[in-house]
Amino acid sequence: MVLMVAVFFGISSRAVAFPIPAAVPLESVTSTRQQAIAFVDAIKQLDSSVYWPNIKPSLFLQNLKATVYDPVSIYPGNGTNFCGYGALSYLFLQDDPLGYAKLLLDLYRNGKANFGGVVFDPSDPIKKEAGRLRYKGILDIHPAEQMWFLCLADHYKGYVNIFNRKYNPGDEDRFWASVNFAKFDRMVRSLLKYKIKAKGSDLIRPHVTDPYQYISDRLKTGKVVLFINNRIVHKKNHVKIKVALPTHFIVVEKISKEDDLITLVYWDYGGKTLMQLSSAFLRRIIFGITYCTKKETDAK
Amino acid sequence: MPNKLIRIILLVGVVSCIFSCSPKNISTKYYYQHEKILDKIEETYKALSLEHPFTIGFTDKAFKTVSIEIITDTLSYIYEFDISEPRLTDTLLAYHFNAAKVIKLIQQMQSIHSAWIKNYDYYVDEKKNTLVFMSIRAVALKSPLAYKKYYVLTYFQQPQYFDSDGRLLDKRKRRRLRKINGEIFRRINDKVCYTISGKFR
Repeated sequence: MVLMVAVFFGISSRAVAFPIPAAVPLESVTSTRQQAIAFVDAIKQLDSSVYWPNIKPSLFLQNLKATVYDPVSIYPGNGTNFCGYGALSYLFLQDDPLGYAKLLLDLYRNGKANFGGVVFDPSDPIKKEAGRLRYKGILDIHPAEQMWFLCLADHYKGYVNIFNRKYNPGDEDRFWASVNFAKFDRMVRSLLKYKIKAKGSDLIRPHVTDPYQYISDRLKTGKVVLFINNRIVHKKNHVKIKVALPTHFIVVEKISKEDDLITLVYWDYGGKTLMQLSSAFLRRIIFGITYCTKKETDAK
Repeated sequence: MPNKLIRIILLVGVVSCIFSCSPKNISTKYYYQHEKILDKIEETYKALSLEHPFTIGFTDKAFKTVSIEIITDTLSYIYEFDISEPRLTDTLLAYHFNAAKVIKLIQQMQSIHSAWIKNYDYYVDEKKNTLVFMSIRAVALKSPLAYKKYYVLTYFQQPQYFDSDGRLLDKRKRRRLRKINGEIFRRINDKVCYTISGKFR
């Protein structure tokens, strides 16, 4: 019964713990940004793809180059449920930008792609929709990101997607695109060359004595992604009683503390944000902590 | 007979009360009743945010706690203050804002219970456009049973296209409705639209 509940709610804390590979330095990356820039800059022109009828090749190439040059700019779209895929892509672009660029080009040119054993074979509705998403802010003119986020949502499924598994227009804002904590960790494990230690779940906050200290310590040796209750961080209404559930993934860049005031710098939605909060508030918003450390490196 | 009459009067009373509080009824009327101050807030915000991009919101029901997001090229800073706190002015000055004007804007927003104001980017034919998005916790929408509590206005820079029901369209030729923040907006005039929403941002 406990196992069933744990599987259903994606509880991945405590049960999963990998050793920290202290021998591999944090700066080590699978490919360098210079390699990725040289690769995309060598592509002067891109032909239109029969697989993606609504993607304009010039805009695709421009978008791909922009994200390789500036990973911070990757934008999951206003009002979508793509934030988990955005956080994953932000980590991907920092660790293996060349892999990211090659994978997206492969998907664009061949309509499917194999990346380290993960076979992306997007469904027809996805192929029709990529390039047509509108009213999502700058994602409107980022067809490469549209294609990528749609492919990720089409490929990876969690319990939150059970009742909406096939894409229909508008599903990017609905449960079809949602990411629960265990699904996020599964995506990171399968696509990125990271070892993961995950604490927390979709319903119960992680058992960490001091979240600030825990995050701060792990940032010294790896990347930290938080699964937070965004309804109380960015209030959207004045209702006092709010459901305590996480809805948003952020990538921690820096954290510091003075007296009881914590300064948190994080990435989400195409930029970095600095927010000051108390220890109690930090504890209240965090439901999941994913700690990523390097598994291997081929960087020169 | 008198009983039947009383029932009819009660029914008419309840129905008229429901419809007088309905979102549809406060729609354009609210805008024209408060046009001067709403337009003033929009103009002030547009001018100030051109100098330094920022957003303002009230995060509490009493409209005493203001949240300011200051957007720079490298980082967005989110701060929350009680509006009477000296830290508010100090922070605005530290980021080179015209503090007096921003505080006046905050006070104007507080006076009409405007919960949020921000610039919102949208794209037409791959070209970036910006509108001002303003939400108000309108008195007429405070009914305890009403789910949708916020009157949301969008100020466009150019005249927009609408269908015969006054709903905002994507383009004149394509009859696709333009959704902003997941909501369908309706015409007040060529450049100003409204919707009633459960969210202020």
